[in-house]
Amino acid sequence: MSLFVAEDISISFGGIKAVQDVSFTVEGGEVFSIVGPNGAGKTTIFNLISRIYDVDQGTLTFDGQDITRVPTYVVPEMGIARTFQNTELFDQETVLKNLLIGCHVHRQSNFFSDLLFLPSVRRQELAFRQRVEDVIDLLDLQRYRDQVIANLPYGVRKMVEVARALCVQPKLLLLDEPSSGLNPEETEDLSFWLEDINGDLGITIVMVEHDMNLVALASDRVMALADGALVAIGTPSEVQNHPEVLRAYLGD
Amino acid sequence: MRFIRKTHYAQDINLFRHRGDVFWYGLLVALLLVAPAGLDRFYLGEFAQVFIYAIAGIGLMLLVGFTGLVSLGHAAFLAVGAYTHAYLMNLGVPLPVALACATVFSAVIGGLVGIPALRMTGIYLAVATLAFAVIVEQVLTHWVSVTGGFRGMAVARAELFGMDLGRPAPFYYLCLLVLIGCMFAAMNLLRSPTGRAMVAVRDSETSAQSMGIHINRTKGLAFAVSAAFTGLAGGLFAHRIGYLAPDAFTLLTSIQLLLMVVVGGLGSLHGVVFGAIFIGLLPQGIAIFRDVVPPAVAQLPGLEPGIFGLILIGFLIYEPLGIYGRWLKIRLFFEEFPLYRKATHKRQKSFLKTERLR
Ligand SMILES: Nc1ncnc2c1ncn2[C@@H]1O[C@H](COP(=O)(O)OP(=O)(O)OP(=O)(O)O)[C@@H](O)[C@H]1O
Ligand SMILES: [Mg+2]
Repeated sequence: MSLFVAEDISISFGGIKAVQDVSFTVEGGEVFSIVGPNGAGKTTIFNLISRIYDVDQGTLTFDGQDITRVPTYVVPEMGIARTFQNTELFDQETVLKNLLIGCHVHRQSNFFSDLLFLPSVRRQELAFRQRVEDVIDLLDLQRYRDQVIANLPYGVRKMVEVARALCVQPKLLLLDEPSSGLNPEETEDLSFWLEDINGDLGITIVMVEHDMNLVALASDRVMALADGALVAIGTPSEVQNHPEVLRAYLGD
Repeated sequence: MRFIRKTHYAQDINLFRHRGDVFWYGLLVALLLVAPAGLDRFYLGEFAQVFIYAIAGIGLMLLVGFTGLVSLGHAAFLAVGAYTHAYLMNLGVPLPVALACATVFSAVIGGLVGIPALRMTGIYLAVATLAFAVIVEQVLTHWVSVTGGFRGMAVARAELFGMDLGRPAPFYYLCLLVLIGCMFAAMNLLRSPTGRAMVAVRDSETSAQSMGIHINRTKGLAFAVSAAFTGLAGGLFAHRIGYLAPDAFTLLTSIQLLLMVVVGGLGSLHGVVFGAIFIGLLPQGIAIFRDVVPPAVAQLPGLEPGIFGLILIGFLIYEPLGIYGRWLKIRLFFEEFPLYRKATHKRQKSFLKTERLR
């Protein structure tokens, strides 16, 4: 059974049909990329999956459960974490604090135990910290641990967002243009990290990406969108050479 | 300059980062403990007042500085706490029980106010909380059987196990003890998931939700907790002023509370203390000001709120991080002398948060 299934999902904003009747499945363990020109509806699909927007019609199924109407905050609890295209970090806080917030879904403590900082809360904090440090080691963020987000360059912020999403320990990771704003070196590092995250941690990845080299290198399957509609799904080379895709990109 | 070598994660979790912290805070508390020996009753009263402000300030700081929700109606929670406490004290309920009830009742009211406030932010929220404060003021003046209306109500003597806590020194210690307890409670919240959820909601609601944080629950909780601290302060305040009347809990009081957290430094508990000292000294300052300016100015109606407003705006423009932020800069200047650069505190780059979801 597929890890994630989207069936005929649609949403429109006023007159704009941002996504129309798109269906696709994501298999457990794969790297699935979504490509398409600007305004194709890629980010909107992410916002639908992470339940920031409600679908007008269609269903979303994750891990055998219907998530079409679950509240937004439940989505990460179920095992879906995401990053944002223009980064949405907690800007006034340090990298460490941001990543600790990423651990929030694993919280066992409640308000009263927090108020008294009971030994169980202390143990939980240490466990969270251990998890955060593992992620920091994985993504090489040691240098930035105690820096406030607002002072960090864009490329680092993008990686901090990936790190924060990993702290959720998701089954499915949604990355919105992870390479935008990164320099070529950082992009290369990114492709290795994607391999680690996918291969070593076994996390399924869906990413929106403009960098075709990265897409071809990292993904198992690709979906191309144009004007909110699905154009092609297949292996990277199939999609890249698909006549409709070429037309969507080049215009005719 | 001190470099801290960290060898264990607990060092980031503990309340005091190193021996130096323990020493300085210990010294501060020790000084405060022996202070009554050398202070006359007027200053003891003023200190107690500052402690009470600080307790209320912790509450408001959690809401404004850490959850990012503005309240222009916190005098109402102070009033709810004060009247509840006084009412129960007058019925003969023991002081700790009455204080606890005042705290819990304020929390409940705070939670209820929080519900309609969930959908509002910024100026709308400020107006809504202001409206709430007006309602409370009306209730205080019209529910005569409980509150004594305009005439107000006397507060029973603070007494515990036959000890008269109303005398300056014992009352000073009572307020200090409650303040220290509240500080620990607030610090505990802030170093655990509850506090982090608040901060997350403040910085990005979208992101907070996507990290599994329930926005409404967090905001409601922030309101309740904030009201609880402020209500507790209200209970002590009742003893401090001895006689409750609605005019002790006006819009001006709310603005004064807000002034405290903004001037002290939003987003820090140190800021609460600095802010409390500041507004504790403010009446003296305004009195001196009245003496030096020409009578025509000194007699101006609305001089006091005007000064409050000017200070508030001045800080927002020139030192948004408040007194605490300024103190950090001064400390850094001496620690790094002569290497200090003004640009250290300039934010490198800020990205426009437009089209954040696209
Ligand atoms: N909240 C919204 N309100 C109105 N229109 C929206 C909203 N979100 C997206 N849209 C519209 O939906 C369409 C798809 O937008 P989307 O952000 O999904 O594009 P995208 O494929 O991510 O593009 P890009 O590559 O530029 O990020 C666009 O026409 C956009 O203007
Ligand atoms: Mg996009």
